[in-house]
Amino acid sequence: MDTLVFVLAGAFATATPLLLAALGELVVEKSGVINLSVEGMMAVAAVIAFVITYTSGSHLLGFVGGALAAMLLSLIFAVLVLVFSANQVASGLAVGILGLGMSALLGRSYESFTLTAPAKITVPVLSNIPLVGPILFQQDLVVYLTIAASAGLIWFMQKSRNGLVLRVIGEDPHIAHNLGFRVLRTRFLAILFGGFMAGLAGAYAATVLTPVWSQGMIVGRGWIALALVVFGTWRVLRVVIGAYIFGALLLADLAVQSLDIGIPSQVMTSMPYLMTILVLALVSRDALRIKLNAPVALGENYRPAH
Amino acid sequence: MTKFKAVMTFATVLGLAAPAFAEAPLNIGFIVPNPIGEVGWDYELDRGRREMQEHFGDKIIVTAVDSVGEGPDSTRVMNRIVAQGADVLFLGSFGHMNDGLALAKRRPDLAVLHAGGYLNEANFATYSPKHYEAAYLCGMAAGYATKNGQLGIVAAFPLPEVLGIMNAYVLGAKNANPEIKDAKVVWLNSWFDPARNRASAESLVAQGADVLFSLFPGTPAAVAAAEELGVYVTTTLSDNSEFAPSKHLCAGQVNFSAIYIDQVNKVLNGSFEGVDIFAGVAEGAVEVAGLSDDLSEDQRAAIFAKQEAIRSGEFKPFSGPIVDNTGNEVVAAGNQLDAGMIKGMNFLVEGIDSELPY
Repeated sequence: MDTLVFVLAGAFATATPLLLAALGELVVEKSGVINLSVEGMMAVAAVIAFVITYTSGSHLLGFVGGALAAMLLSLIFAVLVLVFSANQVASGLAVGILGLGMSALLGRSYESFTLTAPAKITVPVLSNIPLVGPILFQQDLVVYLTIAASAGLIWFMQKSRNGLVLRVIGEDPHIAHNLGFRVLRTRFLAILFGGFMAGLAGAYAATVLTPVWSQGMIVGRGWIALALVVFGTWRVLRVVIGAYIFGALLLADLAVQSLDIGIPSQVMTSMPYLMTILVLALVSRDALRIKLNAPVALGENYRPAH
Repeated sequence: MTKFKAVMTFATVLGLAAPAFAEAPLNIGFIVPNPIGEVGWDYELDRGRREMQEHFGDKIIVTAVDSVGEGPDSTRVMNRIVAQGADVLFLGSFGHMNDGLALAKRRPDLAVLHAGGYLNEANFATYSPKHYEAAYLCGMAAGYATKNGQLGIVAAFPLPEVLGIMNAYVLGAKNANPEIKDAKVVWLNSWFDPARNRASAESLVAQGADVLFSLFPGTPAAVAAAEELGVYVTTTLSDNSEFAPSKHLCAGQVNFSAIYIDQVNKVLNGSFEGVDIFAGVAEGAVEVAGLSDDLSEDQRAAIFAKQEAIRSGEFKPFSGPIVDNTGNEVVAAGNQLDAGMIKGMNFLVEGIDSELPY
C-alpha cells in the first residue's frame, strides 16, 4: 500500500518538470516553430533558480529568475529564426548547447550545494481520505498549478480565438498572413511562452523536485519533454497523460526493484520509455488523426512577402 | 637512416642525462572527469591532489584540469598536458583508460596512474581503494543503528566493485546484528541522476527501510533526502555529514593522497612500475569517518577495533563461510577471497534481496 501511494503520489511531482516544458514546447510547435533548446533552457533556468533561491531563501524569486533566464535564451532563438530566418533545427540545437554550457559555467561554485524543498500543501479533510488523500491532496503548489495550466491550455487551444489563430499560423503562415494575422509576432510570443515554461520546469527540477545543484542535473528531461509533444500528437490532454504515465513508471522502476519481484533492474529502468511509447502509440494509432493534429508548417520559416 | 640514428642517439643521450637535472620539479598532469563539487569521486581525487602538492611542495608542479569527459575531449587534454612536458599523468575516470594506454605506449618515458581500470603497461599503473573494507565497518554501524532491521541500499550499477562494497556492507551489518532482515536494493543504472537518486531513497523508506546506504550515487541527493525523511544514511567516498547533519551514520572515507604520495615517491626514486595498486585501511587509503553520535561508546569502539583488525591484517571482510543469496556456498569456512576474486565479484551475499541480471 505504501509502495502504491509512493508511486502514484510521486508521479505527479516527477512528471511536473516534463509536463511544464512539454506544454511550452507544444505551444511553440503549434505556431509552426520547433525549438530544440528545451534541455539547455531548463539547465540555465535550473542553475539561476537554484542560485537565487540559495542566496535569497525565496523559492518564488527562484522561479521568477529561472523563467526570465530561460526566456532570455528563447529570445536569442526567436531573433535567429524570426529575424534572420535561420534554420530552426540548427538554431535550437545551438542555443541548447549554449544553455548547457552556460549552466555549467554559472553553477561552478555551487556544485553539489543543497536546498530545502518547500513544504507540501496538505488539503484539509480531503487529504485524510485513505489512498486518494495522500495521492491527490498532498502535493506541492507547483503540481496543482501545472494541472491548472494544462486545463487552461486545453481551453486556449480548443475554445479561444487566439488559440485558433496560433493553430492557423502553424498550419499555413501564408494564409494566416493574408487573413491579416501577424505571423511573426504570434510566433515570437509563442517562443517566449515556450521559454517561460521551460524555465519553470528547470526551476522546479532544481529547487523543488531535487533541491540540489549539480552540473548536468537535467539529464535529458528536456529531450523527453520534446518527445512527449510528438508522442502526444500535439494534443494537450495526451501530453498530460503521457507525462504522468512516464512519471509513474519512473518511480515504479525504483519501487519494483526494492520489492524484488525478480525482473532485472535494467528492464525496469527502460520500462518508462517503452511503456510511454507503447501507450501513446496505441492512443494515436490512427495516422489520419495524427496528421490532423501535427502543425503542417512545423519547422518552416516564414518571411513576409510584402 | 643515418640521420634518424643520429637523432635517436642524441635522444638517448638526453634521456640518460635527464637524472642529472633531477632538481627540476616533477611535472604532473592531473585530470578528473566532472566538476569538483563538495563531496564524492571528483572531489576526493582532487583532495588527494591537493594533499600531494602540500606534501611535495616545490618538488612537483601540477597542471590540474576538471570536467574532462570521456572521448575526444579527454584525448585532446591528455595530449596537450603531455606535450607541455608532463612526466606523470593522473587519469581520474574509468573511461580515460584506452586513450591513456595509447598515450603510455607512445611515450614510454611517461608514468601514467589510472583510477579504477583493469589494464596495465610497464608505465601504466592502475589504482583502486578497497572501499569494501570501510563498507564492512559502516555496515556494522547500520546493523547497530537499525530499529526494525530493514536496510535499504541505493546503488549505481551492478559492477563487480559495487557488488563487493554491497556484500561487505551486509556482512558487516550481520556481524553487528544477526537479526536483520534481507536488505532491499534499488539499482539506479546510472552514475548521475539526482532526481532518480532522491526518488530511490523515498521508495526504500516507503517500504520500511530505516537505514539507507548511498553507494556511489554521484550526488548527495539521497543523503539529503534521508535527513528530510528522518532515516539514517551511510555513504561512500566522502564524509557527507554536511548534507545530513543529524542522520549521517557513517562514511567509507577514501584518502587518495596515501596512494599518490607513495607513487610519486616511486617516480622520483625511479622505482615506478605499471602495477595494479589495491590499497585499503592498512595503506591509509580508506577509513571510517563521520560516525554518528547516536552510536554508543561500545558500538563505536567495536567499529574502531574492527578497523584496527583490518589494518593489521588479522581480519579480512571476505572470510568464509560466505553463502550467496541463491544458497550456494561461495567461500568455505577458513578460506578468504583473494584480490582477484574481490575485484571480479559476481554474486550477492545471503541477506541481500536483489537479483543480478546475469
